[in-house]
Amino acid sequence: MIRIKIIIFTITCVFLFLVLNLFYFEVVKGNKFKELSNKNCIRILPQEGGRGRIIDRQGIVIVGNELCYDVLIMSSDAKQLDKTLMNASRVLGTDFKNLKNTFKGSLTASSIPMALAKNIDLKKAIALEELKPDLNGIIIQPRPQRGYPYGRLACHVLGYLNEIDRWRLTKLADYGYKTKDIVGFGGLEEKYDYYLRQEEGGLSMEVDHRGRFVRTLGFRPPKSGKDIQLTLDVKIQKIVEENLSGKVGCVVIMEPYSGQIIALASWPNFNPSAFVTKSNSSIYDFLNNPEAPLINRAISAAYPAGSVFKLVVATAALETGKINLSTTFLCTGSINVGKQKFSCWDTHHEENLRDAITHSCNVFFYRTGLLLGAQAIHDYAVKLGLSRGTSVDLPYEESGFLPHPLWRKIYRFKNWLEGDTVNLSIGQGELLVTPLQIARMMAIFANRGRLVTPYIVKTIAGQDVSNYQKKIITLPIKMSTIDSIREDLRNVVADPSGTANVLSTLSVPVSGKTGTAQAPPGQPHAWFIGFFPFKSPKFVICVFLEHGGSGYRATLLAKQIIETMIQEGIL
Amino acid sequence: MASYLRILLIAILIASIGILTIYSSTYQKGTKLWQQQILWVVSGMFAFFIMSNFNYRRLWDVTYFLYGFVLILLLLVSLLGVVRLGAQRWLKFGGFNFQPSELVKLIIVIFLSRYFSKKSVDDVALLSGRLGIFRGLILPFIFVAIPVWLIIEQPDLGSGAMVLFIFFAMFYLAGVKLRYIFIFSLIIILSLPLFWQILRDYQKERLLVFLNPNIDPLGAGYTLIQSKIAIGSGGFLGKGWLAGTQSQLHFLPESHTDFIFATLAEQWGFWGSAILLSLYYLLIREGFLIAQRTSDYFGRLLALGISLMLGIQVFINIAMTMGLMPVVGIPLPLMSYGGSSLVMTFISLGILVNIDKRRAVF
Repeated sequence: MIRIKIIIFTITCVFLFLVLNLFYFEVVKGNKFKELSNKNCIRILPQEGGRGRIIDRQGIVIVGNELCYDVLIMSSDAKQLDKTLMNASRVLGTDFKNLKNTFKGSLTASSIPMALAKNIDLKKAIALEELKPDLNGIIIQPRPQRGYPYGRLACHVLGYLNEIDRWRLTKLADYGYKTKDIVGFGGLEEKYDYYLRQEEGGLSMEVDHRGRFVRTLGFRPPKSGKDIQLTLDVKIQKIVEENLSGKVGCVVIMEPYSGQIIALASWPNFNPSAFVTKSNSSIYDFLNNPEAPLINRAISAAYPAGSVFKLVVATAALETGKINLSTTFLCTGSINVGKQKFSCWDTHHEENLRDAITHSCNVFFYRTGLLLGAQAIHDYAVKLGLSRGTSVDLPYEESGFLPHPLWRKIYRFKNWLEGDTVNLSIGQGELLVTPLQIARMMAIFANRGRLVTPYIVKTIAGQDVSNYQKKIITLPIKMSTIDSIREDLRNVVADPSGTANVLSTLSVPVSGKTGTAQAPPGQPHAWFIGFFPFKSPKFVICVFLEHGGSGYRATLLAKQIIETMIQEGIL
Repeated sequence: MASYLRILLIAILIASIGILTIYSSTYQKGTKLWQQQILWVVSGMFAFFIMSNFNYRRLWDVTYFLYGFVLILLLLVSLLGVVRLGAQRWLKFGGFNFQPSELVKLIIVIFLSRYFSKKSVDDVALLSGRLGIFRGLILPFIFVAIPVWLIIEQPDLGSGAMVLFIFFAMFYLAGVKLRYIFIFSLIIILSLPLFWQILRDYQKERLLVFLNPNIDPLGAGYTLIQSKIAIGSGGFLGKGWLAGTQSQLHFLPESHTDFIFATLAEQWGFWGSAILLSLYYLLIREGFLIAQRTSDYFGRLLALGISLMLGIQVFINIAMTMGLMPVVGIPLPLMSYGGSSLVMTFISLGILVNIDKRRAVF
């Protein structure tokens, strides 16, 4: 009898054991198994939204999205597969073996649909779609792709797209960036990538044990990125780029009162769609070209300023009262400071400030600079916006460099000598500026004493963002100084002996300053900065030609540009 | 409530759950398996009624005849049997497939019950207490070993092992001296390595995979992994009727036969599977209670054996679906699709009921 009892007890224990195990499986580990069972039967077909477009100030789309078609295949049973690939290869025009290899090569998990061919012709896509009943498991997936209807136009401002790299990924992972995301590099695509980015959506579907589609479980619509409207004007940008093409350098055209950038071009340039279509040879050329086509010379490169820096010296001298409008110096072609001879490019005789600016006389400014002293020059240069970045909304801006006595003492363990002051007065020496900084400086004279912050982006997704820029600062410079220098700048063009006299033939009154910055061992850099029309300026222009020769070249280019603008009726 | 009503009700309840589950896992294919199963249940109930009125003591008389009959059947299977799923276990009987090994289990139970009891209304004392080792251990073992060997050759390791299990338990219950049991266990353990050699490759694989299903996740381990996923993903409340993805989308093989429990667990969750287990427990307990109530030793052993048979089978099947035992082809009684098992179970239950009916005679 007792044995029966033992057996009954054993059986009860056994059943309890089973129930406990059930509890463990279903309740304790239930979620894990639920996940596994979902993994078995749920597949996700992702769908991309469109990246935000970039539009110019008139509403013309500079960078948009085009629809391109990929061929995806949902791997299912092997017999069907060969037949499917055979049919597909006939339509696509590729070898069956190649297709099979691509398929085998990218077969990661049998759960995800994989790409057989990317970016196929519309006609082929339609053909494949028509053959759908014969092609088991093939999906034609339309996908938005970056399109550049204007080709290379404003490529430096825009930037290009590529797969995210590890450095960026580590910084941005918290913002929702994942591996294999496409992000912008350089330009606005990089700076505003967070807004331009699209959100992925997709289809989630249920499949059976053979991977065959059973039903749709859910759909999340993809979201497009936000559009960005620029202050750039495509018409003017085109004019600028056409004229700049072939000459190494850059051109900036800015609106003097608000700081809006109308045109910004740098040459040599590159083609951003090469990165989209992944044309490796072009990309290789761009990256390895010694002339650095990917660099935006307007902001990412700093150069010696040359004669355009004389405006800083003039302002400083007038403000501090070291000279006045009637002060004169005699230019005999050179001066001696200590044992060193510093020459002027011509013999100018007696020059006052107006003459010195008109003729760009070095000697006048040597003497003025010596009167001022390097520290004063430095301080006024900083006031006028040099030696630091302009806070423009483009990445990789250089801040240039302004030497001064203290710096020389601390970093070079040398004393500042008068010869250095002399060099500095005409914008040579260790001085480095970016063309955009110079353009901003010119704007001070154009808008009568205000330091603006240049910007390119006007609205994001329709919302005006210009309020978020830095406020315009009214500089503590006497209006008389400003007006006087303004007149001098007008004289540079109007006076027959002015260095920019070629511009006087234009129907619009232009004012400006030329510059020839020595840059041994190569040719000197050519500068022209100016604003027009004189009385109420609409544009500030800065033309810079790297190793372009004398400032005359830059002036000529400016003339061509302005001429074309007049022709097109912009002015 | 009368015992036989209880048994009948529970059995029908379980069988109905079985039909519903079979429906849920096969309706998509359009096959009428569930309707077939209903027919089997009805036949089973018929058999139940017949056996519940059939004097079980008559089984005593025909034991040896039954034993011989079963041996012949097994031989027939190995000669003429229908091969299905790589195993030769079935005999074709005018449209039906009949699995003799199911019958063998019952016959062995009857045989052992007779062997260890004495036919006498007066002397119902246990015979086995006075048996020596030869008659107490070796002889019954030989009698059992022959059909077991034939079964294992089919190959049907599961049923064979189960019969041995039943033998062992009945051995114990029959009151054989403990040291014989001890010796028997020792012999079994020592002969295990020899046993390993005899196993076929796929059976060896099954044992290895049982220890770690991930050795072969797409082959031998697949069924086990999918079964665990099915059971686990049921959660507490289950996924709902006809909404079990593992079974509906056919990730789980044998979802209407050997792994029907996983199918149920996925759809009805913990509460559903616990209820099913309780039903089985009640059924088996009923059998044991009947055994305790009767004073006829043959009847008692028979009742115990039948209850054990059911209990062991339920345990092995459910443990197998959860990965607690290696995968063997044993159906879940009253639930799995299959006529042989279903009818035999009803017959066994009928005998149980009859034993209870006649207990007052003694």
